Order: sequence, then C-alpha cells, then structure tokens
Amino acid sequence: MSPRRILAIARRIAQGFRRDERTLGLMFVVPLVVTALLGWVLSEQVDEVVDVAVVNEAGQVGDRIVTALQDAATEPDSDIAVAAALGAGGVPEAEGMIRDGRADIGIVIPVDLLEKVLAGERPTLTVIAEGTDPAAETGRFGTLQAIMADVARELVPPGANPPVLPQVERRTIYLSVDASQADVLAPIFLGFFGYFFVFLLTGVSFLRERIGGTLERLLATPVTRFEIVTGYSLGFGTFATVQVIALTLFILNSVDVPAIGPLPPFSIGLGVDAVGSPLLAFVIALLLSLGAVNLGIFLSTFARTELQVIQFIPLVIVPQALLSGILWPVERLPEVLRAIANVLPLTYAVDGLREVMLKGADLTSGAVQTDLAVLGGIAVFFVVLASLTIKREVA
Amino acid sequence: MTATGTTIHAPAPAPAVEAVGLRKRFGKIQAVDGVDLALAPGRIYGLLGPNGSGKTTLIRMLAGLARATGGEARILGTRMPSRPMLARIGYMPQAEALYPELSVGENLGFFASLLGRQDRGAIDAVLDLVELRDRKGTPALELSGGMRRRLSLACTLVHEPEVIFLDEPTVGVDPALRVQFWAHFRRLAASGTTILVASHVMDEADRCDELVFMRDGRVIGRGTGAELRERAGTTELEAAFLVLSGLDAYGNPGGGAPTSGGGQANGGGQASGGAA
Repeated sequence: MSPRRILAIARRIAQGFRRDERTLGLMFVVPLVVTALLGWVLSEQVDEVVDVAVVNEAGQVGDRIVTALQDAATEPDSDIAVAAALGAGGVPEAEGMIRDGRADIGIVIPVDLLEKVLAGERPTLTVIAEGTDPAAETGRFGTLQAIMADVARELVPPGANPPVLPQVERRTIYLSVDASQADVLAPIFLGFFGYFFVFLLTGVSFLRERIGGTLERLLATPVTRFEIVTGYSLGFGTFATVQVIALTLFILNSVDVPAIGPLPPFSIGLGVDAVGSPLLAFVIALLLSLGAVNLGIFLSTFARTELQVIQFIPLVIVPQALLSGILWPVERLPEVLRAIANVLPLTYAVDGLREVMLKGADLTSGAVQTDLAVLGGIAVFFVVLASLTIKREVA
Repeated sequence: MTATGTTIHAPAPAPAVEAVGLRKRFGKIQAVDGVDLALAPGRIYGLLGPNGSGKTTLIRMLAGLARATGGEARILGTRMPSRPMLARIGYMPQAEALYPELSVGENLGFFASLLGRQDRGAIDAVLDLVELRDRKGTPALELSGGMRRRLSLACTLVHEPEVIFLDEPTVGVDPALRVQFWAHFRRLAASGTTILVASHVMDEADRCDELVFMRDGRVIGRGTGAELRERAGTTELEAAFLVLSGLDAYGNPGGGAPTSGGGQANGGGQASGGAA
C-alpha cells in the first residue's frame, strides 16, 4: 500500500470537484436549502382551525351542547369554529358542507341523547369526515375530543355534581415540551444527505472511470485495487466531511435576519435543540458516507450509463428512506420489513444520530456503540465489495 | 533502420518482450490463440491486423492488464502480470482515457504520481515533447482532439518506460502530428526503448522496424515490411497481409492466384503460419 498513490487519487477527486461548480453546489447548497425548507414547514406550520357543522337531532337538550361548542369556538386561540348549527334532519346538509369544503367535520347529536343520559349510559355522537386524509382527520378528531371533554359537563343530569376532570400537564425526558417536528428530524437530515449525495456522486464518478478508459489506464500503473478504493473513500470522504460540518452548523445554529423592505424577518439556520456531542454525530454521519462511497463504486459495475446510476436511487435510496426509521419507527414495521431494516446502514445511522442528538447519548451508551460498530462493519464490507468489483486480473 | 540497440549488448540481446504460446479465451471466443513473440530492445514493432483480430487483447496481456488463459508473457525477463513491472511499462489505451475536467498538468501529474514520477522536471519535459506546455492549465475538455491524443501519449511516456505499448495511437490524429509522433517514437527507440504499436493502418507499417501480422488471434506473419512483401509476392503490404491470411490479393478465399507470385505466396503463408 502506498500513501502517495492513495493521496494522488484523493487529490484527483478534489481537483475534479474544484472545476465542477454545479456538483459542488449540489453537495452543499441543496442539502442546506432542503433542510431549511423542511425545517421551516415543520416548525412553523399554521395551526389549523377545525370548521364544525353541528347537527342537533336531540332538540332542547342538544342545544346545550351546541351552545357550549359555540362558546368554546369564541374563546381566543380556539382550535374550532362552528360553521353551521343545523337542526333535526340536517345531516345531508352537513355532508354537503363537508363535500364543498365549507366544513371539515360534522357532528351529529343523536335523538336519544336525553334518554341515554338519564339511563346513565354513554350517548354516541357521530362524527362525519371526508375520509381522504386519515392523518389530518385523526388530528382534527383529537382537537374535537379535547373540546368535547369540556362540553361534557353540559351533559351532567340536572341536580348531579359535574365531574371534576383532571388537568393534564406534559413533561418530557429528552427534548423540551415544545420541541417541534424539525427538532426531531434534524439528526436525520445529517445522515441522509451525506448518504444520498455521496452515493450518487461516487457512482457517477466511478462509472466515468470505467467507460472513459481512465480505470484501464489506472490499472496499467502499479496502483492496487485497495489503493483506488481507499483513495476514493478519502476524496469523497473529505467532501462528505465538509458537507456534514456545514449541515451540522446550519442545523444547530440560527441567525436572525431582520425585515428588509418587503421581506418579513426570517432566520438562517434551524437553531435546533440538540443535546449530544456534535462530534459523535459527525463520526456517525462520516461512517455512513464511507459506506456510501463504496456502495457507489460497487453499483457502478452494474450501470452502463449515468442515467442507469440515477436509476439506482429508487432502488437503493428510497427503500432505505422508507424503512430506516425516518418515517415510521423500525420496531413498528411488519416482521419481514423489520428484518430488512436491520441490515440497512441508514437504520443504524438514524438510530445513532437520534440517540446522540436527541437523547445526548455518548460513547458509553450501548446503543451508540452498536450503531458505530455496525456502521463500521458495513463500511468495511462495502470497501471489500468495491475492491472486488474493480476487475484487475493482476492482484 | 535496423537494430539500433546493438551497442548495449554485444551478443544477441535478451528480448524485452516475450510471449510463449499466449492464449486468451473469453467464454467461447478464443481471442488470442497461441502467440509466440520475442521483441528485441530498442526496436519499433508494428502489430497489424483487422479489427477483432486480437491485437488489443494481446497487448493487454503483455502490458499486464489481462491474465492469459494459457502460455506466458514476460517483460524484461519478468513474468506478467507483475505489479512492480507496471512502473517500467507505458500503455496508451485506444480510448482517450483522460479526466475531462482536470487540466493538462493535473492529468499528467496524476498519472505521474501513480507511476512514481512526481518531479516537475519530468512533467515539463514530456509536455514540451508533445508541445502542450503552454496549455498546462487548460482543462482536457477544452483541448482539440489532436491535443487530447498528445496528452494521452504524454501520460504514457511521463515515467520514461522501457517498454511501450501503443494501441492505435494515431487514430484521429492529423498527418503533421502523426509525423511528429513517429519521429518521437524513433528517438525513444534509439535510446533503447522497445515499442509495440498496434494499428490497422497499413501505411504506418513502413515506419516500424519489424511487423507482426495478426488474424483470428494468431500471428500469420513476421518480419520487416520488405521481407513480408517478398514472401507474399506482392508489392503492397495490404495485399501481403491478405495473401498471408490464406486469401488472394483481392481478399477472395484461396484458390486461383491472380498475381504471378500467388502460388508461391500461399505456400509462404502456410509456412509462416506454422512457424508463428
């Protein structure tokens, strides 16, 4: 092994980058823009006001609930608005309002409300929703239930004491109570971008070596396959390093920019709450990128054109994004998918980055040790795999 | 034009490049089918044959890029493939094989450092040689086709190799540049370098000291241009190639020879095929 030749290959990669501004932009500007965009959307999502159409089939008793809902809606910062209070037989109209978007949810107060309450049974309210966006509707349903807990006092039979409902207060172990979705996702940005870009760039870059004949010329020199793979890892690893540092700074810090002319004030950087060591997070992201470099080299064997390298994205990157615990926790995946998730490098990186950045875990944490060990193992595995795909019949 | 390397060794010099029964099979295709060669140091050899005759495969085996499936290849006495020996061999592939976004100097510097020659002197010297010194900072992408070809040659020569394999070095090169290339090959040979040039352009053949005709993976004739013409009984090298291939001078299979020396040529062709 010759450090001189490894450095020569790494330097060659850096020289190529320096003359390719677009690729540099792709590696640095794109992750920052996407992270900023996601952070913005996730942390400043406008709270939705749920428009409710109430259908009262229960007459006078039901009116008390309708009034209570209307009162709740007029409170400042209320999450609901009463779009219409309809009388008996109003269900079709409420449904029509939901169809044409004038209401989000319909509530039907049943005819037998009084009967049930007097009998000490729980009356059933029917909630009508569009049924096209389960996640959003679950959210609206939650809003409604919280309000209904207050409204329930109106249902206490006359003469009885209203029940005393406990107040709920949230406390958290790791991030602060009002941490946003962006805080939780920030660690993943770190891992994912490095993985994605490094994979794509090495794949294309190595494919060019193969089809352009430079690999043939490389192999006509005393360089070894291991030196080529190491040189590549060093070259692209350096870029991944700079990228991860830029992203880390961007995610952890935030600079406020005051209003300029028509532009509202805004901030650069996410200023995310992270507790753990940025250095450890960086090591995890770097190990992941090293695997990506060599995965790119390996997969370039199976591509004949640059377009075919791009075709590996849906095959290699998308399943990892779906299964690695970014969107759904790995533990809740069906058994077969969980087994797949357990061999994906991104799974370990996501877990490690979360442990470190959200929970402040350090090297003494068993979970972090496992993640580092597995990521290291995967990186070594791909280094070997990549060197084997460089066809040299010489040794 | 005859042996110029004689001053080094008084007795017959050991061959710089040697092949003994060299074979290469790709699946069902026998690309190189038992080639014996001995190339003396300080001479320029032309490897001639049509596309697909096995020239590139033979060169790749000799240059240590492909492993033979039979026989053996030796460079400067060392059995190939041998990694350390690669630093003493220059190989110019058929493809341009340059990094388009890198400058002339960066391309050359990169291959030079892989070959163990990093000093600026060596790089500038070879740039002078291919007349690209004033283009040192230009990205290869912006060079003309001929300049890229020159840069490719410079990358092959930068470490002053003792044995050079050139695979179709003058394809797409204009005549003036071709003359310069050959003048330089001649200078290298005079300093003791052994050069094997693969080509399918017969008019370059006369610039070589000796020719090797190849067809269907076999050597079908060897000797100076004059010797081969005489053996085939033709005046044109191209016709000599066809005759030695067992065809007549017009490329028709065997049979009635149209030229006066046809019968004789056929006999010569078989004899040389057997000897090769």
